[in-house]
Amino acid sequence: MSVIAEKLKTHAGIEESTSADYATQGYHYLHRAQAAQLPAIATLFSAADFHLEMLTCVDLRESEQTFRLVYQFNCYGTPERHLIHVAVQPEAKGASISAVFAGANWYEREVFDMHGVAFDGHPDMKRILMDDDYIGHPLRKDFVDQDPQREEMASAE
Amino acid sequence: MQNSIEVVAEDRDTYYMNMGPQHPSTHGVLRLKLHLEGETILSAEPFIGYGHRAHEKMAENRDYLQFLPNTSRVDYLSGMIYNLAYCQAVEKMMAIEVPERAEYIRIIAAELNRISSHLLWMGTFLLDLGGITPFLYGFDDREKILDILDSITGSRLTYCYGRFGGVTMDVDEIFVAKTAEFCEYFRGRLDDFQRLVIGNVIFQERTKGVGVFDPELIQHYALSGPCLRAMGFARDVRKDEPYGIYERFDFEVQLGQRGDCFDRSTVRMGEMQQSLDIIEQALKELPDGPIMAAKVPKRIRPPEGDHHFAVESARGRFQHYIVSDGSDIPVRHKLSTPSFVNISTMPQVMPGTMLADAVAILGSIDIVVPEIDR
Repeated sequence: MSVIAEKLKTHAGIEESTSADYATQGYHYLHRAQAAQLPAIATLFSAADFHLEMLTCVDLRESEQTFRLVYQFNCYGTPERHLIHVAVQPEAKGASISAVFAGANWYEREVFDMHGVAFDGHPDMKRILMDDDYIGHPLRKDFVDQDPQREEMASAE
Repeated sequence: MQNSIEVVAEDRDTYYMNMGPQHPSTHGVLRLKLHLEGETILSAEPFIGYGHRAHEKMAENRDYLQFLPNTSRVDYLSGMIYNLAYCQAVEKMMAIEVPERAEYIRIIAAELNRISSHLLWMGTFLLDLGGITPFLYGFDDREKILDILDSITGSRLTYCYGRFGGVTMDVDEIFVAKTAEFCEYFRGRLDDFQRLVIGNVIFQERTKGVGVFDPELIQHYALSGPCLRAMGFARDVRKDEPYGIYERFDFEVQLGQRGDCFDRSTVRMGEMQQSLDIIEQALKELPDGPIMAAKVPKRIRPPEGDHHFAVESARGRFQHYIVSDGSDIPVRHKLSTPSFVNISTMPQVMPGTMLADAVAILGSIDIVVPEIDR
């Protein structure tokens, strides 16, 4: 087990830590963590020369009544990929790690835009792909397009 | 990290300017909000989403096979690489074995596509800088590649050539002969480009020392692709986490030193050479045999859980992140694209440069807007 995986096991906010099968799944470790601890965990990764490869969200409200944020860390050279699952209650917020990894800034905006999960401590929490005045969050499973422009366009035809 | 040069004395005149969304050098629809003092950029903020087509939403509303035609539309310049990447991702999840011949054909097709993508980059980059000739040269050669790929796929740009377990159509002797002929011809052309483009004094003046990426950005943004290699870091998914049969091929990762626009150009030039080497090696070793796996499950139902698969696209590291619940429709399919990462560094890279250099920087990172927006 790697140094950082060892450290993470006893880190505050880590609820569960398991090894994954890299050959079939493409990552080495899977952790479950509490949202509030993410900045501290990200700092730990940053100090160990890891980078944030991806950050995204999964809408699991149907099966688990929560959103799940997925953080993916890796290091250059020999790959050692860590996935971190963070359960976020609907209406609750994640904790921004954009101060630790500047690249997280846009990923967090994308999650906010697409899933409607906001991040505490983000410097500029606004939409990124959709218009600023867009209504709704497209990647939610119960999303219905309520864009008034769409109605206008439909009636114009 | 500091986002901009905000220390502006009150008595100095500054102004904001929109570059795009229809500016030709933004290669699609991208808007940059530039805060300028004279011609010096104080801060730059990219606005994206004009080309958002909801590929991820579509993936979550249909089964795995139905999403296949979408993949090459994510990045229409290296569609083959994206299309094959998706096939490989599904094959990995389902443990489908791909026949040898199909693996070799995939390598040839993907590397041809990489050259065509780099050629388009070269043409448009030089066009952005004011040189029209290389554009015409580059497009001429690119068209030759597109014809070759057209002959096996039936489409010019948005290929749907891969299938889970192999490829749709076999290559024939004409394809092999044409590809070999192109490789030989293109080596000579690369020498021409080396003299015409890289050796050109005006080009060097416009690109050397311009748009230097701070090494600090690497870890902050998880940079990849030619942008990272231009900074002297030998990172290439084809080497670090070989997929397909890339570990059988002998090639060296192309490197720059300073990470400026010039280095990013030389890295891509070197990569075209390198792709030719890979193609020639693959043509020589191309085995006979089937092009589709004998047994491919009719319904694709990957095991429950998270799946990750990454490839080296023409622009950097491209990954599929798929969450399956064991059914034939994915719960989540995230397309993590390199251009999204590259363009998000612009608030850090652009401040302090000149307005004309913004065009050079945008061109040198080789963005494809639909790939950013997905």
